[in-house]
Amino acid sequence: MTDILDILDIEQPSASEVTRDSIIHGDKNKKKYVTAKTVRRPEGMHREVFALLYNDNKELPPLLPTDTGKGYKQNKAKLGMRKARKWVWAPFTNPARKDNAVFHHWKRAADEAKEYPFAQFNKQVSIPSYSESEYNQYLKSEDWSQAETDHLMDLCQRFDLRFIVIHDRWDRAAFRDRSIEDLKERYYNICGILSKVKTNPWSNTVTLVNGEKRVYHYDADHERKRKEQLKRLFERTQEQIDEEQMLIAELKKIEARKRERERKTQDLQKLISRADSGSNTLNTGNTNDVSNTPTNAANMSRRHDRKLHKKKLSSQQRPVRALEAVTVEWSGIKFPEARGTGVWLRSQRMKLPPGVGQRKTKAIEQELRLMSIDIAPTPTEAICKHFNELRSDLALALDLKNALASCEFELQALRHQYEALNPGKTLTIPPSICNTSTDVESKPVGEIIDVVGSPSAVNNTI
Amino acid sequence: MSLPTDFGPDSGGRVKGLVIVKAIVYGNVARYFGKKREEDGHTHQWTVYVKPYKNEDMSTYIKKVHFKLHESYANPNRIVTKPPYELTETGWGEFEIVIKIYFHDPNERPVTLYHILKLFQSPVTEGTPQVGRVLVSESYEEIVFQEPTQLMQHLLNNVKPITNGPWTHDTDFEDKKEKTLEKIVSAQGKVRNEISELKDKLHLAKETIAKFKDEIAKLQNNPASNLLSVM
Repeated sequence: MTDILDILDIEQPSASEVTRDSIIHGDKNKKKYVTAKTVRRPEGMHREVFALLYNDNKELPPLLPTDTGKGYKQNKAKLGMRKARKWVWAPFTNPARKDNAVFHHWKRAADEAKEYPFAQFNKQVSIPSYSESEYNQYLKSEDWSQAETDHLMDLCQRFDLRFIVIHDRWDRAAFRDRSIEDLKERYYNICGILSKVKTNPWSNTVTLVNGEKRVYHYDADHERKRKEQLKRLFERTQEQIDEEQMLIAELKKIEARKRERERKTQDLQKLISRADSGSNTLNTGNTNDVSNTPTNAANMSRRHDRKLHKKKLSSQQRPVRALEAVTVEWSGIKFPEARGTGVWLRSQRMKLPPGVGQRKTKAIEQELRLMSIDIAPTPTEAICKHFNELRSDLALALDLKNALASCEFELQALRHQYEALNPGKTLTIPPSICNTSTDVESKPVGEIIDVVGSPSAVNNTI
Repeated sequence: MSLPTDFGPDSGGRVKGLVIVKAIVYGNVARYFGKKREEDGHTHQWTVYVKPYKNEDMSTYIKKVHFKLHESYANPNRIVTKPPYELTETGWGEFEIVIKIYFHDPNERPVTLYHILKLFQSPVTEGTPQVGRVLVSESYEEIVFQEPTQLMQHLLNNVKPITNGPWTHDTDFEDKKEKTLEKIVSAQGKVRNEISELKDKLHLAKETIAKFKDEIAKLQNNPASNLLSVM
């Protein structure tokens, strides 16, 4: 009580409480407490630290070891103080035994004679019984004669349903050899029938669930299959085990490869759709430009820009998509939108968003250097816009290049697969796909499109 | 009817849809002593500055400019409250100077510029650097006031020319802007051409992959016909 008050810094109510301590020590105790209280814990000092400095008696800890008490030196253990009681070697009978055999054990002389306590663990199985007429009425079987059934029930009684033992003790001279499953099946079948017919159910085969009788059903076929399976599993040779391990590993590999391929195709699909939307914004970008800054520089660049686009459009011969399809969705890098209000520096607009990885940033900077463009150009509105677009496009181009390289790799792999399946024949990979880095500049666009149009290049060789 | 407060911390005091851009030039000039100074080993005198790009007196809207120098300088935080916003020092090494510009309206947060103090020509010219030749390293920047407060709008729109004479810079930024934009735009065209080529190639590659797969599937499903065709 005082401890919790101490912790909470609550003043002790003046001796209003009557404790055992206060009665025994009277005023002395109270006085001592008050003197201890006068030395308050300094502000900020932990209670534990304070407790080390000051105990309740305000005594400093001794400088010399004062361990003069007996401590651990006491050499005789003080155990129970009661008198020792006598043990006697007494005979006893086990009521679980029917032969009245007498055994002996140690027990306290004072303890009165009781029934042997472990007898209660000798549980008896109650085996159903049937009369002659009952057998003929319900239990007849083509496979089992009555004598054989009687033998089975007898063994069940004798060996407490230990079917392994029952099977072992089976009278093979009189009856044909039966499997454990056969024995069990017959026994539980009989139990089931009898429990339905008779009013008195046997505890071990019938359980009552919600007042309804549930008969234990023994599924012999399942049990046979299970054992067969275990047997086969046990009897595998080392070669078979190895083969299985190998096949499992192979399967895992194949599945991983399949997943990888699916992932790649998905990525590719995304990339292509992105590229489509990217080119759309490019085709319609001109209209945006015209409405923009009327500076000299912008005018010039716009003319230049338009010329480029025209050339590109005519050479590409692809339909210009409808305007409404244009959403400035994605083109490599998504730069954050202008913030709401406040002051900012134009050059902040050119910071790459944190989502762009180190490697990609490096690659983009490398490309810019190759085109001799400053990686931090003079920040005007127009330059920021175009510079961001350019870097976005560069990122997209890099992605596409990587995708193309992986496609090329896949094509090679497929070709090898084909060659393996069909020796002497091969598939031709369209040459424009290969060597992406080298022949991009030299080849006119039209030629590449032509190849797309004629799949004959592939078919010819097949 | 309650009128929105004229100036204040709440957004009601901001002018909706207004963007005011103020272009500035910041950087440093440096001059070589011609020798290492005996007493402290300094070799250069330099001046770091922030000045308006156009002929405007920035003090109408700028409260102060804070230059943060290398910690080896005594009292490295230097504050300039009046134009010209510049600071002259001597030294022997290059380092990054943090320049923080504060505005008169405390509701507009200060902006921070980073400038690498430049003393030496790059690449280092052969022999000793020439005495007295001034080196200039400066950058162009635009401060964008997006929806400024009404106080700020008033201050920004009432700037007086700083001088009656011509206001020029060492670097021809107009020329630089033009050339940079031109270069970027032409690069953009090139990259976009490349992208459409790559895209076409990818389409082709995808089609070819599908075709190859078909062929392989045919072979796998029908090995007999394959045998026939071989014969």
